Amino acid sequence: MKRLIASLLIFAIAGVANAKVDLTTLPTRDTVQLTIYNSADMTLARESRALTLKEGANALQFSWENTLIDPTSLEMLPKNHAGRIDIAELVFPPRVRNLGLWNIHSEVSGKVPVEITYLTSGLTWRAFYMGTLSADEKTMRLEGYVRVTNNSGEDYENAQVRVIVGKVHLLDEIAELARREYPYGRPGVVRPPTPSMPAPSAVMLRQRAAGREMMAAADMAAPKEIIKEGLSEYFLYTIEGTETIPNGWSKRLQSFDVDGVPVVNLYKYEAERYGDRVMRFLSFANDTEHKLGETPIPDGMLKVYRGVDDAKHLSYEGQSSFKYIPVGEKVELNLGTVADVVVEPKLMEVRSDNHRFDRNRNVAGWDDIHTWRIEVRNTRDVPIKVEIMRNFDAPHWDITHSGSIDGYEKVDLDTVKFTVELPGRSQKTFEYTTTLYRGVRTEDYNRRTR
Amino acid sequence: MNAKRLVLSVIVGLLLGGPMAQARIKLVALPERAATIIRLDNPNATLIEEERVLTLQQGLNKVDFSWKGVQIDEDSIRLEVLDHPDTVNLLSVSYPPGESALVWEISSGGNYAETVRISYLLGNIDRLITYKAVADKAETHVDLRSYVILRNFSGEDFDHARILLDYGEAFEQGIDHEETKQVLFLKAPTVPIRKVWTFDAAKLPWDAERLDNQNVGIPVSYRIVNDAASGLGQFAMWGGKARLFQDDGRSSTIFLGEDNAPLVPVGEKMELYIGDSRDIVVTQRKMRDVQINLRKNDSDRVVLYDTDEIITAKIENFKDSPATLTMIQHIEGQWDMEKCNLPYTKKNASTLEFEIELPARTDAGPAVQELTMHYHRRNVRN
Repeated sequence: MKRLIASLLIFAIAGVANAKVDLTTLPTRDTVQLTIYNSADMTLARESRALTLKEGANALQFSWENTLIDPTSLEMLPKNHAGRIDIAELVFPPRVRNLGLWNIHSEVSGKVPVEITYLTSGLTWRAFYMGTLSADEKTMRLEGYVRVTNNSGEDYENAQVRVIVGKVHLLDEIAELARREYPYGRPGVVRPPTPSMPAPSAVMLRQRAAGREMMAAADMAAPKEIIKEGLSEYFLYTIEGTETIPNGWSKRLQSFDVDGVPVVNLYKYEAERYGDRVMRFLSFANDTEHKLGETPIPDGMLKVYRGVDDAKHLSYEGQSSFKYIPVGEKVELNLGTVADVVVEPKLMEVRSDNHRFDRNRNVAGWDDIHTWRIEVRNTRDVPIKVEIMRNFDAPHWDITHSGSIDGYEKVDLDTVKFTVELPGRSQKTFEYTTTLYRGVRTEDYNRRTR
Repeated sequence: MNAKRLVLSVIVGLLLGGPMAQARIKLVALPERAATIIRLDNPNATLIEEERVLTLQQGLNKVDFSWKGVQIDEDSIRLEVLDHPDTVNLLSVSYPPGESALVWEISSGGNYAETVRISYLLGNIDRLITYKAVADKAETHVDLRSYVILRNFSGEDFDHARILLDYGEAFEQGIDHEETKQVLFLKAPTVPIRKVWTFDAAKLPWDAERLDNQNVGIPVSYRIVNDAASGLGQFAMWGGKARLFQDDGRSSTIFLGEDNAPLVPVGEKMELYIGDSRDIVVTQRKMRDVQINLRKNDSDRVVLYDTDEIITAKIENFKDSPATLTMIQHIEGQWDMEKCNLPYTKKNASTLEFEIELPARTDAGPAVQELTMHYHRRNVRN
C-alpha cells in the first residue's frame, strides 16, 4: 500500500492550493534508499522518480498520509539539466495536511529524473550479538546481527538499506515534527498537543499477509554482505542489494561472524561499586589481533554462551550491553556477579601511631595503620585473572604489600589496583598495610612526598 | 481565499459631523489594495505597508479602516500621503467603540485620486530561517543553503506582496492565510569549515572506566566564518535551525546532525554542533592533591595554604584520520603552573585551553597523547 504519492499537476498553482480537486499524473518511484539511525528515531529516505516536465511552470505535489515524514526536511533535486530547472518554492497549502507543493520553473520539456529526500521516523535498527565461548574459555565465536524494524506507515519495497552507527544531535524529534498540524508550527501560538498516528486497524491482517508475500519474493539464497565505511563521526553499513520491509515488519541481518576471537575472563572486585560479590567481565579488543578491527562495533546487547560438549550443546553464561567500540579499543563486558570466584578481604590488624598534640594537649594528628588480608579463590576449572580495587578515604597514605600478587598499580590519588592470576581450582592470598595520615600528620606526609 | 478582512472605505465630507460613530451604516467606495510590502526584518513583529488610492474630495474626508479576524496593533497604524503631501493633511484619528476600526479625518485641497501608504504591525505572520549544509567527504567545506520560511496565520490573504528581510534581495511572493512557504534565498556553494572536537573538563566525565562501559562522547562542531573568504560576509546571518549532511562519495548523503545557528554578524564565526565523537577517548585523573606551605594561626590551626596538584589526561585517537582536540581545563582562584608538558593558552583567570594535535591511529593501536599538569593553587583559605 503506497502512502507516499508524488503527482505532477498540470494546472496553475493557485487553483490547486485552493480547490484541492486535482488532475494529476502519478510518477512511479524508481528507487528508494533508506539510511537508518539508531541513536535517534530517524531515517533519511531518498527516492528517485522520473517526471515529465513541460516548459514553463510545473507543480509537483507530494503527499504522505498516515506516515511519519517530517515535512520540514522535504527536498527535491533534479538530477539532470542543472541550472535549467528552478525549484522556486515549496508550499504547504492551507487546510490540507501531509501535502507539499513544489512550484518548478522548467526550461526543458520531457522526462527529468528527480530525487526527493526527507527524514522520517518509525524506521529503526539495533545491533545485537551472540558470543559462544570455547570450552576452555580462551576464545569466542562472535556473531553480530542487525535488526531493522519498519513502523513508518509506509511499505518500502526493494529499498537499499543503510544503517548508521553514531550519536546524532537533534533539536526536535522527527516523530514530533511529523505530527505537527502545520509543518513549521504557527507564529504566536503555543503548539497544542497533537494526536498520535492512527492505531493500526483491521487492515493490519491484510497488510501482514501482503507483507509475507513481499518478503518471500525478496528473500535471497545467500547471506548478504554488509559494506562498512567511516564517514565523519559515523560508521555506515550498507546492506548488499535491496530489502523489502513492509510496514509493521522487521528483519534480522547478519553483520559479521568471526570465530576464534581471543578473550580474557577478567573478574573484578570493588566493594564500593559492586558490594561483596565478584563481577565477571569478558574482555577483548576490536583489533586485528582479535580477528576484528575492520570497523567499529556498534553498541548492543551480547548474549554469551559456552559450548559444553562436542554435540554443540550450549550453556548460557550471561549477557551484557556494551558501548560502541572504536577500532583498536578494548571492551569489557560485564556478565554480572558470580559465585564461583570469591574475594574475601579481612581486616587483620588495626592500630594508630605517631600521635601529635597541640598546645592544649589535644590530639592534633595521628596515623591509622590497617592491615588487610585478601583471599582470592577460584573454584572453576579454568584459569582466571582477578582485579581487586581498594579505595581510601584520604589522599594521604602509604602502602606496603606482600604475598601472591601479579600486579599493583596506583590508579589515582585514592585508589589502588591489585591483580592476581589463578590457575583452575586454586587460591591465593596477599596482604597489604596502609598508613593513613590524619590531622597535622598530613603536613609531615606532604613534606615527605614533595 | 479571497475574502478581504481589511477594509478601507472612504466616506466623503457630506457625512461630516453626522452620527457616524453610533450608527455606522455606510455606503462607501472600497479602494483596492495596490503595492504591498511585508517587512520581516524584525523577529518580534511584522510590518505591513500597503498602498491604496483614495478618491478624496476637496474639503473634509473620512477614511474608515476596519479589520476583522486579524490581529493588528491599533497603535501601530500609520497613514502616509504620497501624492499631495502639502495639501492633503491628516487631521485626526478616531476609534469607534467596540469595533476593530479607526477613522481618519483628512482634509484635502482638491479632488484627488490620492495614493496613500498605510502601515501597521500585523500579528501571526512571520518568517523563520533554516540552513542546510552539505559537507564534502573530506569535511573541508560545505555547500550552504539558507531558506526563508514564511508563515502566514494572520487571517489575511496576500495575493501579491513584496517581501523584505533585513538582508538579501527583496522578492515578490503571495501567501494565503494558513499557508507556509519555503523559499531559497542564500546559496554559498563552497564555504570552508573547520572541524572542532572539544573536551571541557568541567562538563564531561573524566574516566569512562568508572561509568560502567558507557561511551563518553566528545562534542564535534563545524566552524564557519561569516566573511568574504567563505563566500559570505555580505550581511549578518540570522539564527535558525541548521541541518548538516555529508556527501558519502556515492552520489548520496548521510545526515550528520542539526543545531540552532545563532545570529552571526559579519566577520564572526558560527559553530554548529553536530554530535559526539566516540572515537576520541579522554581519560583524566587527579594523581595528587595535597596542601603545602601551611600558615597557621596562634591556635596552631592552618588558616592559609597552597596546594600541590597533578592532573594527568590520556587522549586516544581511534580514528583513521588526524584530529585536533581542543581541551579546556579549569583551575579556580590564584594559581601557578609548576610544569605542563603541553602548550596552552590562558583564556581567562581560571580557564586553560590546549590545542592537541592527534595523528591517526595506526595498526599498532590508537594515537596517544598524554597531558600532565602540575600546578599549585596559592593562598587558599581554610
